[in-house]
Amino acid sequence: MKTLRIIAIVTLMAAAVAALGARYIAPGGYEHQFREATDAAPSAHHPLGTDELGRDRLARLLYGLRVSLGMAPLAALLTTVLAGLLGGIAGCFGGWVERSSMFLADLFLSIPWLFLLITVRAALPLNIAPESSAAITFLLLGLLGWAASARVVCAGAKNLMSSDFVWNARAAGFSGLKLVRLHLLPNLRGTLLAQFWISIPVFIIAEANLGALGLGVTEPLPSLGSLLKEMQEMVTLRPEPWRVAPIFVLIILVSSFQVLLNKQEVRA
Amino acid sequence: MKSRIILAGIARLLALMLTASLAGALLLRYAPGFSSDERELNTGLSAGSIQAIRQERLAQGNVPSFYLHYLASLCRGDLGNSISLNQPVRSLLHDRLPVTLQNLFLALLLAWIVGLALAFTSQLTRSRLAVAAGEGVSGVLISTPAAALALLFVLFRFPLWTAAGLLILPKIYRYSSNLLGEGYEKPHVLMARAKGAGTWGILFRHVVPAALPQWVSLLGVSVSIAIGVMLPLEAIGDVPGIGQLAWQAALSRDLPLLVNLTMAVTFLSVAATTLSDSAKHSLLRNAA
Repeated sequence: MKTLRIIAIVTLMAAAVAALGARYIAPGGYEHQFREATDAAPSAHHPLGTDELGRDRLARLLYGLRVSLGMAPLAALLTTVLAGLLGGIAGCFGGWVERSSMFLADLFLSIPWLFLLITVRAALPLNIAPESSAAITFLLLGLLGWAASARVVCAGAKNLMSSDFVWNARAAGFSGLKLVRLHLLPNLRGTLLAQFWISIPVFIIAEANLGALGLGVTEPLPSLGSLLKEMQEMVTLRPEPWRVAPIFVLIILVSSFQVLLNKQEVRA
Repeated sequence: MKSRIILAGIARLLALMLTASLAGALLLRYAPGFSSDERELNTGLSAGSIQAIRQERLAQGNVPSFYLHYLASLCRGDLGNSISLNQPVRSLLHDRLPVTLQNLFLALLLAWIVGLALAFTSQLTRSRLAVAAGEGVSGVLISTPAAALALLFVLFRFPLWTAAGLLILPKIYRYSSNLLGEGYEKPHVLMARAKGAGTWGILFRHVVPAALPQWVSLLGVSVSIAIGVMLPLEAIGDVPGIGQLAWQAALSRDLPLLVNLTMAVTFLSVAATTLSDSAKHSLLRNAA
């Protein structure tokens, strides 16, 4: 397992370096059109070929990786903060606060995740600037993905509230923010960190699904999801194996997170 | 006690369904562009028809009245009309739901058979190869977006329910494997092994009965997961089920259709989990 984790770390670091260094690896950029070489097969100039508009597929993959790898952790951070707030408050106060918070969480969890995402995303404008579409997509993921994490945080906070050291602290006069800052947050840190790590691959997958359905990041900005959408015409036209590269990159990337996740969960 | 659990489950189901559909209605009502209708751009329509479309849209704009009217119609069995497809929602659901349910059933069957087979093999043999195979397969599948698998399956012309089954499989395998692992470590099981009880005897007399309530509970959860997975698969694979319908409704902001689909999907999902939870409690009570 240790070897597997090392491979996962190296893979993620390589992906991050490739995404950050996209400008140097594929100097043409993701929207530059090589009009003399449209829909070209792989070559020394274009290792993954070009698309119908003459754009370099490798450049689009690297920039897509940058969007997904850069934005998913931000969305995960937002969802962890929301889960921490709602779950923490519910666990600390108990009673009707807990019941109503958990009913809200139940509501979010009872509607299948992709159904919820598709519905909310479609309710927002689709024909917008690519950067705005990326921001909206990941903002939605962050805002809608808190429910499962909030349940975990709520259970953790409830356990802490009934623990001896918190009773002692309360008896010693600790209350409100001081209790939260000194006793609850430090002890919930592991749980929150685990929820943050769990959310990253979930959001990368969710963006890929949304993008493939045309409800994610809009053209010409690539993301791993919008690259899947571009692949849909391949299914009906002609099979070109190098065009499925985004699927394999996606699976390798998320698998690497999953391998590391087990370690994080154990720590939490 | 039993009737109290069932009543609480039904009350929860109703409360969640009503809240979910109201949230859907609010969302669509306040979504940008709700007041405009693509049909108004049709040059073939007369001024009167366009006026009628505007009136229809205006009537649906008032969410409380729309929602109350909807609930009253629902009690009469009338689910309204789809704006984008110009058909009664009831007939759309009637046509599409069996397709989704059939695929759902086949996908769950595949996921449970393969998932349990992998879990039993890895726990019974305890061989590193079996564990690695189970973990490897479930690890790759859990990392694969439904849309990506749908694309690959369409490309290779495999039936899409198999893709759905493979996407549910990791949850079944991992949960079952953990359950069996925990079962084998219980003191009375260790004692039975020490006394020389056979492998199958231990499995079917001690480990499986202890895990059964949890599996029943997982059954409900797996239905919920399967419903979510079917949506992108149907949309990409062009399968005429409720997943594809939901996608079309969301893209065209078809409020009546989307509200009904929200209700249908939430109902299926919550009913499955409520039923399985009730069965789990019943099994646990009988065991006690």
